Amino acid sequence: MRDLDLALKHVPLRAPAPLFERPQPPKGVFTSQRGFMRALGLLAVLLVAVLPFMDASRYTMSIATSALIYVMLCMGLNVVVGYAGLLDLGYIAFFAVGAYVSGIFTTVLGWPMWAALIATIIACITAGIIIGAPTLRLRSDYLAIVTLGFGEIIRITANNLKITGGPSGIHGIPSWSFGPWSFDDGFSLLGIDFPERVVFYYFVALVVIVVGVIGAGRLAKGRLGRAWKAVRDDEDAAEAMGINTYIAKISAYIIGAVWAGMAGQLMATHLSAISPNSFQFLYSALILMAVVLGGMGSTPGVIIGALFVSLAPELLRDFAEWRYLIFGVLLVVVMLFRPSGLWPATAVLPWLRRSRPTPPAFTEATAVPASIMESVDGTPTTDAHEGDRA
Amino acid sequence: MSALLEVRDLRLQFGGVTAVDGLSFEVREGEILAVIGPNGAGKTSAFNCISGFYLPTAGAVVFDGKAIVRAVPELWRRLGLVNLLQSFGLYRVLPSRVTKWGMARTFQNLRLFRELSVLENVTTAMHANLREGFWATLLHTPGYRRAEAACVREARGWLDFVGFEDDEQLYVTQLPYGEQRRVEIARALATSPKLLLLDEPAAGLNFNEKQALMRLIRKIRGLGVAVVLIEHDMGLVMELAERIVVLNYGKEIADGAPEVVKRDPAVIEAYLGVDESEDA
Ligand SMILES: Nc1ncnc2c1ncn2[C@@H]1O[C@H](COP(=O)(O)OP(=O)(O)OP(=O)(O)O)[C@@H](O)[C@H]1O
Ligand SMILES: [Mg+2]
Repeated sequence: MRDLDLALKHVPLRAPAPLFERPQPPKGVFTSQRGFMRALGLLAVLLVAVLPFMDASRYTMSIATSALIYVMLCMGLNVVVGYAGLLDLGYIAFFAVGAYVSGIFTTVLGWPMWAALIATIIACITAGIIIGAPTLRLRSDYLAIVTLGFGEIIRITANNLKITGGPSGIHGIPSWSFGPWSFDDGFSLLGIDFPERVVFYYFVALVVIVVGVIGAGRLAKGRLGRAWKAVRDDEDAAEAMGINTYIAKISAYIIGAVWAGMAGQLMATHLSAISPNSFQFLYSALILMAVVLGGMGSTPGVIIGALFVSLAPELLRDFAEWRYLIFGVLLVVVMLFRPSGLWPATAVLPWLRRSRPTPPAFTEATAVPASIMESVDGTPTTDAHEGDRA
Repeated sequence: MSALLEVRDLRLQFGGVTAVDGLSFEVREGEILAVIGPNGAGKTSAFNCISGFYLPTAGAVVFDGKAIVRAVPELWRRLGLVNLLQSFGLYRVLPSRVTKWGMARTFQNLRLFRELSVLENVTTAMHANLREGFWATLLHTPGYRRAEAACVREARGWLDFVGFEDDEQLYVTQLPYGEQRRVEIARALATSPKLLLLDEPAAGLNFNEKQALMRLIRKIRGLGVAVVLIEHDMGLVMELAERIVVLNYGKEIADGAPEVVKRDPAVIEAYLGVDESEDA
């Protein structure tokens, strides 16, 4: 009871104690969804971590790092679109804000990278509030239009300002450095040389994604995540449950913005050059597609979707000009056969699926004696006299 | 017994339609009040005004000493900015705030969260009462774990209270209709209300389920929660309600004990219609 008092605010009404203790849910790898997903996640991380030891060529590493940055972006958009149900058509704008802020602060102003990271976060929160605060009060259609415009405004502004380098963008963005050592220096471990900075960014992206996956999962399961999903399902019902839907929506929007900004900084330092061309509407659409394709609100789904969207054009490179066509056809086929995504959020592992127990059959014993109803005879009822009205 | 909810001269217009036309009634602490009336009488619209979803054209709603309808300065009215300001949350009380004050409601056409499990539906309703910070959630602090455990325990308490016996991990769409109704009531109770508004809770239930619902509503009143219910099933209303308010075309035509209302000629006329052959 004391626990309850600590956990719950002062409330006038408390639930009666549960009638029976529920059994503890199973925890094993094959007996629970959570255990299985954790094992799968660990396996995936190991596989990704081993890749550079197999093939550390510049080409592979840079494609793999871009794919990981895509995954990061899609996870951020998943909080906005998947959890909170806000249709954001200009998500790449926050990515651009992150990339440009860190680019300008490190090259023009010469700030260290960590300071630029803080500036990036502040800039993204500000941008999120400027775009979100007025529009999130309204229904989500407005948000889609406003974000679409915002994405283009950011790109066009970057294209025309002097400080952003105009159409050619910003070059020579420095790497992360820790005292005298920076990512550019490289080092060797276990007899293998890691001379390329891209390898470091690959691992940084991996670590960030692991942190993001765990964090997003925890948020989704907690109070805030439930509020997001409630808002997505039914905004009015969520309001009726005491959830301030505006605060729930804006928090999701800002978290998504900050995450995209951090991805933007990672990309800027990884490529060391950015230009407005990398922030076209096409990319907003691709990320959104990855989220929808993978399964909105589902972390494994979104990761699969992001990998598909970022790697498929590369893998289809042999088909030259046909590749985007094949890519499009593949997408249509997937959406036809799995309309709620490759790995829907509500997916349950096939061997753990529950069937609904059949309700108890109607028997004389469970019926209440009709005498209760007799006392109300003679009152006007809608049903009984429906026919008399004409 | 003081008035928990006071509705005075409530009016709501949709363009030319007057859905609620000068409704006044009060709900005392811990009583069961029924609001009845033919289809389209404005019962749901009145509920929506009381719980903060609709902004009434005129009138006052005071819940637990706090005004739910706020006065808008004449200047904004003249400039035609009222709707804009109110959509930004000014000069109005949001439904979420009303819920925090202790008024819970259910919806006429079930509005459970379809993508959440039964248990999550109920824990979601504890949102406002739960101490769970952003960083605590991210870091899974002991305080967070405690809050989560308490929240689940409380939710299970409510599910047991309403007599939900199915699997709490199922999605609500997997449940039969009657069970969904129960979950919706459990969800409303989880917000810790002083007043519970039920919009046609018995619609679509079979005889047994209606009996169970009647027992449940009495049990809720036993907790000290006042219940206002809209209902078309007269049997249930006469059996359950301590007082009945009758609406017709948005106007209140009767207010009183069931035995009195039942014999009121205006009520009988509203329900049966005036016999035209007699009139002619
Ligand atoms: N959003 C709206 N816009 C315009 N008219 C509305 C709106 N909501 C309700 N009305 C009208 O207001 C009147 C009252 O509707 P309301 O839903 O409150 O009736 P009710 O008493 O709940 O009926 P029922 O018993 O069928 O649920 C009806 O004439 C309806 O058409
Ligand atoms: Mg109604």
